[in-house]
Amino acid sequence: MGSGRQKGNSLLRVVGENQTGQRRNNASLNRDVEWSIFMARAQNGDGRAYNQLLTEITPYLRLLVGRHHRSPQDVEDTVQDILLTIHSVRQIYDPTRPFTPWLVAIGRRRIIDRLRQQGRSTARETPLNEDHETIADAETNLETRADGRSLREAVEKLPPGQREAITLLKLQEMSLKEAADRSGMSIAALKVATHRALKSLRAILGKGDIS
Amino acid sequence: MITTPDLIASLSANPAPVRRLRPPLLRACCWLALAGLVLVLLGVSHGLRPDFSKQLGDRAFVVGLVASLLTGVLAAVSAFMLSLPDRSRLYGLLPLPSLLIWMSTVGVGCLTNWVSVSPAGMQMGEAVSCFATLVLTSLPLSLALLVMLRYTARLRPVAAIWMGSVAVGALTASALSLFHDIDATIMILMWNVGAALLIIALGRIFGRRMLSWVAPQPLDRFT
Repeated sequence: MGSGRQKGNSLLRVVGENQTGQRRNNASLNRDVEWSIFMARAQNGDGRAYNQLLTEITPYLRLLVGRHHRSPQDVEDTVQDILLTIHSVRQIYDPTRPFTPWLVAIGRRRIIDRLRQQGRSTARETPLNEDHETIADAETNLETRADGRSLREAVEKLPPGQREAITLLKLQEMSLKEAADRSGMSIAALKVATHRALKSLRAILGKGDIS
Repeated sequence: MITTPDLIASLSANPAPVRRLRPPLLRACCWLALAGLVLVLLGVSHGLRPDFSKQLGDRAFVVGLVASLLTGVLAAVSAFMLSLPDRSRLYGLLPLPSLLIWMSTVGVGCLTNWVSVSPAGMQMGEAVSCFATLVLTSLPLSLALLVMLRYTARLRPVAAIWMGSVAVGALTASALSLFHDIDATIMILMWNVGAALLIIALGRIFGRRMLSWVAPQPLDRFT
């Protein structure tokens, strides 16, 4: 394998300035050789080489993971998962073999793991989003409108004094003074009328519920 | 949540030097040497089956024995290959031909000797001894394989466990047919295939959990 890599290097020197496709191939070969040297050094305890290796493979892993996961959070979590896995099994890498296939194989395992985990959680859970809230709101609105109609009908049935008092004070939300000015009733009379109106509304609506 | 640059910095802060794993074929050979040792020790302590020389003349017996031994060897090689992430999945098919031959010899034996089941069946003493052989062979081999394959816990656990179980099961079945004269075909079927299936099933059920016990824990330093 070592001789194969040397062959790859000499190939790189000979055809270096030919076509772009070949150049790209050579670049990836070159990168692979570099990574595998970094990894071999990391296995011997070289922290700087290890740091450089992990830093260089991170964008590559982001691309790889990005093909399967959309949310940036998932992509970043999976990349970190892959880095941790590489750290825990770094002794199984054989420097005489290419590094990238080894890296991609490990990356795929973690990507699949996360996809499975997502599959399990989506089968069990329903995420709450704006749509759900809107639906909930619509239901509430519908009910409020129905209640509003029955309330208005109930208000219509009240004696005129009570009806005026409840309309001004509770439905139009005026202060006692304003309502007194508008209706010409005294504040005390308004209070009494409102009290009685609420009492009779309670009776009317309560009866409606029973029927 | 730790950011990725921080994670990289903490992982590479002081990486302990690690010893590279030996090539998978060499490791498979080491394990097979252990298996050979177990078989030889059992042979010394228990002795071969009384009718071994007579059985050697029986072609079906020889083919079955060789096929089961070969299945064990190839499945072990396949397990060590599959435990590495960058080796082909097709290594899983390696023990398949010999496995088919082994199963077919057991099956043919069943058809031809169907009537030769003795009315008394097996004696109790022999059954217990058989069971002892089964445990003595499969237990050390399974544990050794488990430790040797620990790095695959987060890579390809299922495939490696399957192949490892087939290897242990086949070698255990070979041991049974080497040391015990079980002629009743149902017993052959039960002990040979039954033992293999039992070991495969146990490996399948407990393998993953056991593997995760011995597996290296990447998160140790962060907890």
